[in-house]
Amino acid sequence: MLQDQSHIDSTSQPMETSAAGLVDRLTTSLPKIYRSYTVRVFLQAIITIWAVMSLTFVLVRLMPGNPVDVLIEQILTAEGISYQEAYDRVAASFNIDKDATELDQYFQWMGDLLRLDLGTSITSPGTKVIDEIARFLPWTVFAVGTGLLISFVLGIIAGMPMAYYRGSKLDHILSFFSSFSTGVPNYIWGLLIIIVPGIAWRWFDIGALRGTYDVGLTPGLNAAFILSALEHAALPVFTYVIAILGTWMLSMKSSTTGVLNEDYVNVAEARGLKERTVIRSYVGRNAALPLFTQLTISIGFVLSSGVVVEEIFVYWGIGHLLFQSITVRDYTSLQGVVLLLTAAIVFSNLFADLTYGLLDPRVRVSGEK
Amino acid sequence: MFRRILLVSALLCALGMLTFAPLQADDGHSHTLSVAWPYQVPPTGHFNTFASGGIALGQYMDLHEPPLAVLMWATGQYQGMVAEEFGWDDDGNYVIKVVDGYSWSDGSPISADDVMATFNIFRLRGDAVWANMTGIEKVDDHTVKFHMSAPSSLAERIILTTNLRPASVFGDIADRAAMMSPDDDGWNGLLQELTEFRPESPVSGGPYTILPDTITEASLMLELNPGGFAGDIQNYDMVQMWNGETEVVTPLVANAELHYITHGIPPTTEEDFANRGIDIVRSGMNNGPGLYVNHDVYPLNLVEVRQAIAHAVDRVQNGFVSLGESGVAVEYMTGMSDGLSEAWLSDDTLDMLNTYDYNPDGAAALLESVGFSRNDDGHWVDDNGDTLSFELTFPQEYADWSAAAENATAQLNDFGFDITARGVQFQQHPQDIYSSNFEMAIRNWGLGDPIPGRSYLQAYNRYNGQGEAAGEGGGAGMNFDNNISFSGGDINVFDVSNASSQGTDSMAQAELVTHLAVSYNELLPAIPLWERYTNNALNRNFINVPDSSDSVYANFGGGADNWMTTLILTGVTAPADM
Repeated sequence: MLQDQSHIDSTSQPMETSAAGLVDRLTTSLPKIYRSYTVRVFLQAIITIWAVMSLTFVLVRLMPGNPVDVLIEQILTAEGISYQEAYDRVAASFNIDKDATELDQYFQWMGDLLRLDLGTSITSPGTKVIDEIARFLPWTVFAVGTGLLISFVLGIIAGMPMAYYRGSKLDHILSFFSSFSTGVPNYIWGLLIIIVPGIAWRWFDIGALRGTYDVGLTPGLNAAFILSALEHAALPVFTYVIAILGTWMLSMKSSTTGVLNEDYVNVAEARGLKERTVIRSYVGRNAALPLFTQLTISIGFVLSSGVVVEEIFVYWGIGHLLFQSITVRDYTSLQGVVLLLTAAIVFSNLFADLTYGLLDPRVRVSGEK
Repeated sequence: MFRRILLVSALLCALGMLTFAPLQADDGHSHTLSVAWPYQVPPTGHFNTFASGGIALGQYMDLHEPPLAVLMWATGQYQGMVAEEFGWDDDGNYVIKVVDGYSWSDGSPISADDVMATFNIFRLRGDAVWANMTGIEKVDDHTVKFHMSAPSSLAERIILTTNLRPASVFGDIADRAAMMSPDDDGWNGLLQELTEFRPESPVSGGPYTILPDTITEASLMLELNPGGFAGDIQNYDMVQMWNGETEVVTPLVANAELHYITHGIPPTTEEDFANRGIDIVRSGMNNGPGLYVNHDVYPLNLVEVRQAIAHAVDRVQNGFVSLGESGVAVEYMTGMSDGLSEAWLSDDTLDMLNTYDYNPDGAAALLESVGFSRNDDGHWVDDNGDTLSFELTFPQEYADWSAAAENATAQLNDFGFDITARGVQFQQHPQDIYSSNFEMAIRNWGLGDPIPGRSYLQAYNRYNGQGEAAGEGGGAGMNFDNNISFSGGDINVFDVSNASSQGTDSMAQAELVTHLAVSYNELLPAIPLWERYTNNALNRNFINVPDSSDSVYANFGGGADNWMTTLILTGVTAPADM
């Protein structure tokens, strides 16, 4: 027995030592890990998302009406049956749990989220929210993302000459255009495009451009589908470009104007470098750098910026899903979309924060930040 | 730099050319009917029309899941569709015989099994039709008997206007439901199975079938189903169903890409359509906005005050400013539409009704008769010396009801009331009424239904005493006592409303309806303002249907009995060039 005991003791000693070492290592390394800027901001991002989602959970339930009331009102207006009869039918149609409290629903939802399960739609029982998002998300990313990139590139290209020739006619014209295009909301541009060239001038069939691609095509890497997708995206993309181009132009003009006054630009010109080289390598690159942060942050807002435009052009993306979920008070779908939008914004900010130092050698993010 | 400009310019030009090139040239198919209804695309939208989220195309679902019969409102007679024979038997049960020789798009014949499946699923869902039914029996392959607790014209209507579903799709769940009762353990599980059931493809028993591959957010196509009901008498090969609400489909109508809509359109749009040669078809919808009052708020509980309000508001003006020619002032003020009043009330009764014509002097006399007077500011004060000052709420998102509220407020204030109009979010507004949290409000009177008793349930049931059911802490709605005394005696108007749709003796029903109409006319528990008429946009350059004098247009444009789907099912609707 003693031998056995000693054997046990002799073998457990290293285990205890090992466990104690692990604890020691953790206690010394955890603060270091936490002091890491990257880890800290990542944790803050997670907490931010959780806080937004919890707030969203409460707020959507504070909105007037709920999915049951919406359908009950429709039935009462159409059929004139009693409220209780309408309620029972809607409850059966939705298959809702009448006894679940808000707290039950919250913990159920949070538990599902930890398993990366966004749940099922309330108004379309059995349909997974993740499937709804997968159906609509790509089209928003494609259309708004394309619009954002085109407007960014055009804005940089047009903004530089505005700064170079500031005070000139070119500057006045482009500045007016920039202010005008920025001042008019994207949905107004969308309506104008539908009404003027579409209805008044009849340049195109409005109905033929609706949807994300033509009927009968199989989505995939084939020319017919790609061309059709481009064709259907053209009007929304054009709307996004025209609506945000001015912002990039004015930002680039402002940034370039600042760079033009820098010593290194004067030195480069004094050294007799070609104007094209100065513009491209000294002015352009440095002026565009601050816009990079703006671009990465804008990417986060990509998903939420097309709600009304998507409705106007019947180009359904995540904005439509958000709009529809709010309209019929589909809490689970709405929470899923808000989670997506929140995560996109938080992580794009995080990305901008972490990568800016890599792009600009003058700025280095240190652990002491 | 130049190269970049060139590349971006090329991309933009390519996008522009794609956009502005002549797009989707007409394929020359002249036999496509172009109509519209909002729907959701998959995966949210699906082919289980028993469950929430199903792609149910409003009245156009008649083309896919045909009704058993259609009521011709002008005559009050049912016209058989899938049911070729129907009626009450000697035992008070309802018997229908399904037409022979038609099949669903999956090849299975249309038969009594489909009726059994449809109504057994209704039982699983707890639909109102089973309130009068005790059972359902398949007599033979084409005959079904509905065992009733008592004959009821309401039950008959619900049965006959039901859209038939295929037993080949829903039969399994329906059969299991038929073997169970709501108290069984598996009942809720079966209900969940039903709501989550997703048929792989739509199966049509009507003249057209949905093509799943054509479903986009823009539109979907329905293809001729030659073996389906009425499929052999159609004048179109395809139906294109555009997707969207009014603001989405309006440009398509203006562009002549869409030829008929049932969407309510604002008067300005109506005028634009008319200028483009588009016809506006108007049919009475048996309902509209009314002025509801909280009968717990003094002196709105006085009948003289409500009658004075009725006289002080020019309903013709109110209707026109709210909805143009489709806002038609209510004449008889019976709580049901003028059309139903004329159909159900005798000429003598109609003659004795008070039509509450616009008459400010008469209104003033009514108020003075109960001791009210005007103060120095010209405002009316009651017998306690209090100004007649009230808040009038309305659902702010409803443009026509908002206009009705603003106009009624202006007219009443001109008369000497002190009314403040306040818009409320449209989903919150009915909850406020259920919970009695209002003084005056704009809500709907009447119902889009030909059975008159049901019109009264809006005032006497929905907005009166539903607060507890609606989770509003026992609020009693407009607090109207349904036990009333009028020139015809003492009645409970809620009971009489329900009783008037029971039985099959139309004379007895008419007597009860007369009680309801006369008592409503005398007491005005809520004050109807105007009846909403449809303003369907119909482009006759593309669609050939009878002219506006035809009696079929009495079948108003929403829900069951729709005139357009009736004309399609009977093979009348045709392309304009045919």
